[in-house]
Amino acid sequence: MTVDLNHYLVLSAVLFAIGFFGVLLRKNTLVIYMCLELMLVAATVALVAFSRYNNTMAGNVFVFFILTVAAAEVAVGLAIIVALFRRRQTIQVEELNALKN
Amino acid sequence: MDAICIALITLLTPLVSATIIALFLRKQGTLAAAISTLAAAVVAAGALTLAFTGAHFGVDKPASVEWLRLGNFTLSLGFKFDDLAALMISIVGVVGLCVHVFSLGYMHDDASKARYFGGLSIFMFSMLGIVLADNLFMIFIFWELVGFSSYVLINHYHEKMSASDASKKAFIVNRVGDFGFLLGIVLCYWANGTVNLNELGAGHNVYSTLIPLLLFCGAVGKSAQMPLQVWLPDAMEGPTPVSALIHAATMVAAGIYMLCRIDVLMVPDALTVIMWVGTITAFYASLCAITQSDIKKVLAYSTLSQLGYMVAAFGLGSLDHLDESTKTLITISAGVGAAMFHLTTHAFFKALLFLGSGSVIHGCHHEQDIFKMGGLSKKMPFTFVTFTIGVFAICGLPFLSGFYSKDAILHLAQEKNMAVFAILALTAVLTAFYMFRMWKLVFFGETRSHEAAHAHEGGLSMTAPLFVLAALAVIGGYTEEGHNIYQNLFAGVWSQIPHAEGAEPFIMSLVILIVGAGAAWMLYKPAATDTLEDKVPSLFGFLAVVKASPDWIYDWYVAKVQQRFAMLLKFIEDMLLSGLIIRGLSGVVGLIGIGARALHVGNLHAYVYWFLFGTALLWAYAAGWLF
Repeated sequence: MTVDLNHYLVLSAVLFAIGFFGVLLRKNTLVIYMCLELMLVAATVALVAFSRYNNTMAGNVFVFFILTVAAAEVAVGLAIIVALFRRRQTIQVEELNALKN
Repeated sequence: MDAICIALITLLTPLVSATIIALFLRKQGTLAAAISTLAAAVVAAGALTLAFTGAHFGVDKPASVEWLRLGNFTLSLGFKFDDLAALMISIVGVVGLCVHVFSLGYMHDDASKARYFGGLSIFMFSMLGIVLADNLFMIFIFWELVGFSSYVLINHYHEKMSASDASKKAFIVNRVGDFGFLLGIVLCYWANGTVNLNELGAGHNVYSTLIPLLLFCGAVGKSAQMPLQVWLPDAMEGPTPVSALIHAATMVAAGIYMLCRIDVLMVPDALTVIMWVGTITAFYASLCAITQSDIKKVLAYSTLSQLGYMVAAFGLGSLDHLDESTKTLITISAGVGAAMFHLTTHAFFKALLFLGSGSVIHGCHHEQDIFKMGGLSKKMPFTFVTFTIGVFAICGLPFLSGFYSKDAILHLAQEKNMAVFAILALTAVLTAFYMFRMWKLVFFGETRSHEAAHAHEGGLSMTAPLFVLAALAVIGGYTEEGHNIYQNLFAGVWSQIPHAEGAEPFIMSLVILIVGAGAAWMLYKPAATDTLEDKVPSLFGFLAVVKASPDWIYDWYVAKVQQRFAMLLKFIEDMLLSGLIIRGLSGVVGLIGIGARALHVGNLHAYVYWFLFGTALLWAYAAGWLF
């Protein structure tokens, strides 16, 4: 069995779905965050697969950008989550509802 | 110093005085009184200087500055000073000074003396503004200012409910008239393109009757003619010197003066209306005066009656007379001459009478009921002598000022309209009747109250103005050639006075005086009750009803008609404007807000769903599934 484009795309879709439902259903901010990262990775997988399929470098260049942005995001996002935990002693999303009240 | 400069100083000095008093001297009554009186002296000096030097300006070439420009429309402030203005400014200056000096004594112990004298100063400023103004807009501005100062001064004893009611009544009734005045000015500008007194002229269009009648509305309010006469008797709640200056001598005469200023606009139809309004007011007020027991109310109705005379005289209009030497027909605006002549003499003798009544009231410790006075001729000899001169002058005793001016009006009426002549002659009889009634009740017989028994003459500051005004009330009427006490002053006005020839006016005046005064002298006993009321209660009751009915009509109108109309308007306003438009709009916005707030559940997952929904929507839109 050869591994062709469709397999990569299915893998990417599965990864994206896992990430998406993780964001929707999980309560822990850290897990939600990891799921977000998963969605980004799913996107990069698809981009690399297309890049390979088309024999162009455009997809690979996108991947570098996405990784850079994701790294910066992690730095800021994790810092926010740590600060949040220090302040509120929790990172469960249902308890973080200060905007509502 | 040129004349315009003197006029400016004369105009602005009282304003400066009022400003200083209002800003710095509210607590220092005596200093305020001194400054205000000094300002009045400057005004009198300036006015007489202008008059005696025969200054004329703003007549041939304008003496004005541009004040406001709105597109094509410019509003200018300027002076017009001719013989008419010279006469009026002299009256204002002299009577004003007398009243200021009298006030020094009369208001000596008043707690809020500073406010009183500040009010007098602002009044002097406003009045001079009307006299000097060269266009109708400027007259209107100062017209409103005299209304304001009149309000302040009527309201001087503001802790008294009746005084504050009276001041409001005066202001509101005047506003009714002023609204017509303003409409007249606007219409005049619209039809003629100018409101400058020098450029006005009677047009021959559909508005030529309407314009003078609307402008006359202003005079009806300010000069208290029917049907807006109700405020003047109530205005007697103010201090007596104020009644003398504002509600007898000057401000109420401003209406007559304004009419004389716009004489060129007058057309026969308008003059007929003006004539009848004046005639009816004169007669009506003299009927009312008979039943009054308050010394100031008698004088107030007498003022109304005399103002009616002036308005009627103005309305009688011009007179043709044949010049013997050149055999040409000369038209003189006799109405203006007669009205201004009577205005002049009336200012003197009515200010005298009011200040005399002020002296009586002051002497009797603020007792104003003539049935509680009596026998004051011995206790207050100076007041008695001067007051008597005033009474005789207003009744038209020959050789006193009132005789000449009233005679001029009656002569004019005789020439022009016999019905008006008959009513005015009857009014003159009634004038003599009620004046002698008051005179007898106040000064003769036994004293009828504790206050009157201890009556005393006021100080020099109160008696001196009385003598000055008494002298003027005696000599003020000599304007005919040969014995003209004014020499060549005010010739432009005096030349317009109609003169009767022969002994006829003499006899007429004497008959009027004897009938009226004799009846009063015979009828009234110096008693504590009204003799007329005791003997003929039905007649007295009828006169009382006549006196009170305008107030009843206004009460009914305001309470029943106007109030209901106002309630209807308020209902519409509540429903439509504030209900539907304002509350409705805010309700819609509020509903949207409530809906939008419901989306903010504070749950991160809910936001993700909304985000998903939004993305799906965008996608659908981009794919063309929507719209």
